[in-house]
Amino acid sequence: MTATARRHEVMTSTPEEAEYELRQSINSYWTGGRLLVGMFTFFVASLAFTYFYLRSSNSGGLWRPAHVTAPTGTGAAIFAFSAVAALLAVVGYRRFQSGGVQDWKVAGWTAVMALVIAMGLQIYQLTQLPFYPGSSGYASTFIAWAVTNVFLLICLLYWMETLLAQSMRLRSALPVGETVADSASPRAQKFRGNLESCTFFFQFAAIVAVLFWALIYLI
Amino acid sequence: MTDTSTREPRHFARMFVLWLVVAGVADALFYTLAGPHVPPGTMTTSAKDNQFDFNVLLVIALPVLIAVWIYMGYAIVMWRSTRKGVAEPVGGAVARGNKGVQFAWIASTSTIVMGLFVFGTVALINGAGSGGGEGPNPVWSPNSKAPLQVQVIGQQWKFTYRYPSFGGFETTQLILPNNTTIEFHVTSLDVTHDFWAYQLGVKADANPQLDNVAYTTTRETGSVTVRCDELCGIWHGAMYNYGRVISPAAFEAWATATQRASVANTKLLPPYALTYVPDANGADGGLYPTNVDPYSASEVYGAKVAAS
Amino acid sequence: MSVIDAVPVTDSEPTEDYVNLGVFGRLTHRRGWLSQHLGTAVIGFVLGYLLGHWLGNVVAGGYSYVQNSGQNNVADTGGLLLGVLGWLFGAGALNYPIAKMMGREPAEERFDPSWTRYFRYTADHKVVGLQYIFSVLTFLFTGGLLAMAIRTELLSPTSHAFGPGTYIAIVSEHGTVMMMMATSIVVGPFGNWLVPLMIGARRTAFPRVEAFSFWTFTAGYLVIMSALFYGGFPTGWTGYAPLQTQAGAGMMSYLVGFAVIGMGMMAAGFNLAVTIVTCRAPGLTWGRLPIFVWSVLATAALLTLATPTLVAGGFLGILDRTAQTAFYVNEHGGSSYLWQNLFWFFGHPEVYIMALPGFGIVAEMLPVFTRKPLFAYKVAAAGMLGVALLSFFVWQHHLFQSGINPDMRPLFMLTTELISIPTGFIYLVGLGTLYKAKIRFEIPMLFALALFFNFLIGGVTGVFLSDVPVNVQVHGSFFVLAHFHYTIMGGLVFAFFGGIYYWFPKMTGKMMNKTLGKIHFWMMFIFFNLTFFPMFIIGLLGQPRRVFEYAQNLQTLNDIASVSAFFLGASFVVFVANFVWSIFINPVAAPPNPWDSLGLEWQTPSPVPYYNFERIPVIMADPYHYSEPNAPQLADLGVGSDRTDEKVEVGK
Ligand code: HEM
Ligand SMILES: [Cu+2]
Ligand SMILES: [Cu+2]
Repeated sequence: MTATARRHEVMTSTPEEAEYELRQSINSYWTGGRLLVGMFTFFVASLAFTYFYLRSSNSGGLWRPAHVTAPTGTGAAIFAFSAVAALLAVVGYRRFQSGGVQDWKVAGWTAVMALVIAMGLQIYQLTQLPFYPGSSGYASTFIAWAVTNVFLLICLLYWMETLLAQSMRLRSALPVGETVADSASPRAQKFRGNLESCTFFFQFAAIVAVLFWALIYLI
Repeated sequence: MTDTSTREPRHFARMFVLWLVVAGVADALFYTLAGPHVPPGTMTTSAKDNQFDFNVLLVIALPVLIAVWIYMGYAIVMWRSTRKGVAEPVGGAVARGNKGVQFAWIASTSTIVMGLFVFGTVALINGAGSGGGEGPNPVWSPNSKAPLQVQVIGQQWKFTYRYPSFGGFETTQLILPNNTTIEFHVTSLDVTHDFWAYQLGVKADANPQLDNVAYTTTRETGSVTVRCDELCGIWHGAMYNYGRVISPAAFEAWATATQRASVANTKLLPPYALTYVPDANGADGGLYPTNVDPYSASEVYGAKVAAS
Repeated sequence: MSVIDAVPVTDSEPTEDYVNLGVFGRLTHRRGWLSQHLGTAVIGFVLGYLLGHWLGNVVAGGYSYVQNSGQNNVADTGGLLLGVLGWLFGAGALNYPIAKMMGREPAEERFDPSWTRYFRYTADHKVVGLQYIFSVLTFLFTGGLLAMAIRTELLSPTSHAFGPGTYIAIVSEHGTVMMMMATSIVVGPFGNWLVPLMIGARRTAFPRVEAFSFWTFTAGYLVIMSALFYGGFPTGWTGYAPLQTQAGAGMMSYLVGFAVIGMGMMAAGFNLAVTIVTCRAPGLTWGRLPIFVWSVLATAALLTLATPTLVAGGFLGILDRTAQTAFYVNEHGGSSYLWQNLFWFFGHPEVYIMALPGFGIVAEMLPVFTRKPLFAYKVAAAGMLGVALLSFFVWQHHLFQSGINPDMRPLFMLTTELISIPTGFIYLVGLGTLYKAKIRFEIPMLFALALFFNFLIGGVTGVFLSDVPVNVQVHGSFFVLAHFHYTIMGGLVFAFFGGIYYWFPKMTGKMMNKTLGKIHFWMMFIFFNLTFFPMFIIGLLGQPRRVFEYAQNLQTLNDIASVSAFFLGASFVVFVANFVWSIFINPVAAPPNPWDSLGLEWQTPSPVPYYNFERIPVIMADPYHYSEPNAPQLADLGVGSDRTDEKVEVGK
């Protein structure tokens, strides 16, 4: 290794550069959040496509014999808990923006609880099915959605939980009198970018939950 | 300074003349010499039409290929840095683009492409699907009154053929009458195969539980090779057999004789149908429960909610 | 010029601002044998596999997919999935995600001067780029050896080197490794290594995602190769159901492998797309972006948006074989067409994932070796985006004979033929740039010119394939095979090697040997064409793909292809020899800018410092101002005399 490499072992930034790179990371959160939603959209759309494709081909008359349906009560509960979590994330974020860090934390932890319950119910539901996975197109699609939903809920949980955990550590790291909602420190700024994206993702997840609730249980 | 740098040669004029000659000769040679021998020959209408399509495409493609090759060859020779007296390139706005050239490029490629699209679509529709698989309800069919129905059944790893107009007997040899419109119904008993009757210019996937129709009209007698054209497992490579197009009279004789000879066999077959679902029509080799008819997932699997 | 260089440097300690990773930080920052590296990743894979397999048997013991086969697909799937997890864990990929759950933020990674950094999980985009280069070469040579086996079998129409089962396993493995691994991630090596340097960034937007993509992708290699231990899979890279449903346990490696590789592709594309959008240096407007970066952006968009469909398709396949759903089973309310649609909805964008980086590499090299600006830059960029967009609307051209939506054939014929317009822009750009140029036939340029020769044949035959009547004749035959080898091998793989010769001096500070390079190029070019051109004729004469028996009269052509293929294989031996010779045995120091390029990546010192740019550059022009007397300065690097004395150190 030459001296050059050794010299740059630690990056040195001018204040302008630090500011510029901070802007970049905040923008990355924004752009990344949108792209992530795009990615999930294509995944979920593939499942929706599967639903409609099997429904319209109805091979062997076995799309959905006798209108079997996954347990609707549990289904509605799962949907309700997911929706509540999304709502809490959004409302909490509103409060956060107007300085209510504590409100957001409460809303956030409650959302985490709701997600855990939704996930538990989703797994429980899988053990209570009135059909076998391979018995119809509908049954298969339901299984795929249930597994996807568990995964989606885990993603939401993870994102919200890491933010909450981070905000707790941040509190002690920030100068006294500043909160993550208003501090100008780079970490707080990045945190806010991250949180904005997370909230956006919750909104997306709410739309997915509505869509699949309708597809699986209503129509 | 040599005179190349003092008087710029007319590059495009040179290339154009060269192109005109080479492309013209290449096209003419191809169309007259190779064209008539281009596979799959002219045994059926679809084979003949598809051969014609291929030839037209190649006649358009050759000048395009040759234009690019000539240009590249010219550039490599004339503008190589090692050539004595090659001019210093000029950068800047002139070298960064040229509205006229760009427009001409886009316009000409778009024209070719749109032309090809119209040409291909007309050929597809006039050719009643050009011998390709058209699904269970063909949108384009030939205007022949009484096409001969032949069913092609793919299974790992062979093709068999059933003739519904002759009692639905099944053979391993594809025999067809000349000057007749054939309506192939292609299906499979297991995985996806593809029925490729090479000389007939016919190709259609054989999907289980699906009927894939393809049309062609025979024009010449001769022998036919059938190959499976979709990977269907380990013996896919050995999944081929042969057939013949013979005179209508000979066909009639063959078909009636075969029908008579295979009466006993035909009885054992599931009744002729467009698709065969294992167990629903007895094509299961006894591996599926026989007491359940029509097929019911709930009884096979003992589902908790009965299927309708 | 800028305000930046007037300001004194604050030597901020990055760690101060961050809580470190706790116990995981200790793991991450430890060095030596007792730390996390490739070796622990392998151990993690093995342990994870065993654990997952055992768990699978516990959860679903006696639940065999094929009766009395003694194989339990749940156990196999569990083994493979936990194996991948173990691999990631062993490599250290999960340290950060887990520490994050405790609210910890990572310390900025320090530069690791030891050579062992190439075997570690690292957020250094240049290390990841080189890791990717070696991996992609490994994938390419693995697939290449399998190809040699295929061509050996096809030497004779009737006598066989392999049994049919082995042969089909080889063919399938070849296709999968080549399509999914060797060629689908060319943005991995070049994108990761070059994009930050080209856009004046010190790192990518999400360095850990970048590393994650690499380690996930390599785990996918293990999973795909594990099929061989399960007896292979018989479906080719396309994995059509119901054959997929019917196949043995090797199919699980294919399905899980696709999902894992898909994750890797998505992660790589995600990170690069975000990097390009957000991390450009000041002044680097969209109109000044190097064309290679445009191509990476278009590719990254396809990677992130098309791949989820593949993952979904593979996911449904996994469910079919483990939870025993019936997605692809016609008899139970599923549809084998569903797989074909999902697969090709991804599959066609995938083929452009394999084309666009090649275009970008070549378009980036042309101005350097012609000493002219890139012709029709805007058209080129627009073409790449146009191709990316259109490629979502053409997938059913792979299904013309399948019986799916036959009435839509004209539409898909139209979209497919339309896509050849923006694809053809690369020729407008290439030919325009060659006009009245001063062409230097350095080795990278030879590869670039070869792309124009080969891809032309590939693209034009693509238009033949999209004509439905002609498609009836050639679909599924060697004609298709020749088409896509001309586009992928003749296009992307040539560009890839051109790129290696071109950027190698920057990446390693060493020059590749020119004579060996020329031998490599000419062997590869000649024997590539001799291998694959006959295949067009073989296909027209009626030989389907993936067969081990063919008509007697095709033996001569097949033998020409086979023998040429062996020489083609040998050309890569020359490359490897060159590679080893030029790096390890007889390294020749490369000048900082051996090709006299104006690209920003060449303006950095050699070797490139850990943080790429001592000062963030301010971009003032695009990098194509060749042969202009009053060319504007490309960028203000803001380092003054400091940089010159560093240049002197090169090669020491
Ligand atoms: C000019 C643009 C192109 C057109 C019009 C085109 C058209 C087609 C068509 C219609 C097929 C289906 C053939 C069949 O199976 O019947 C096909 C197959 C294929 N093309 Fe292209 N193509 C183009 C460019 C490319 C490029 C750039 C690549 C990759 C770099 C590519 C890779 C492939 C592959 C891999 C297949 C076969 C997939 C398989 O069946 O395994 N094509 N192409
Ligand atoms: Cu086959
Ligand atoms: Cu395609």
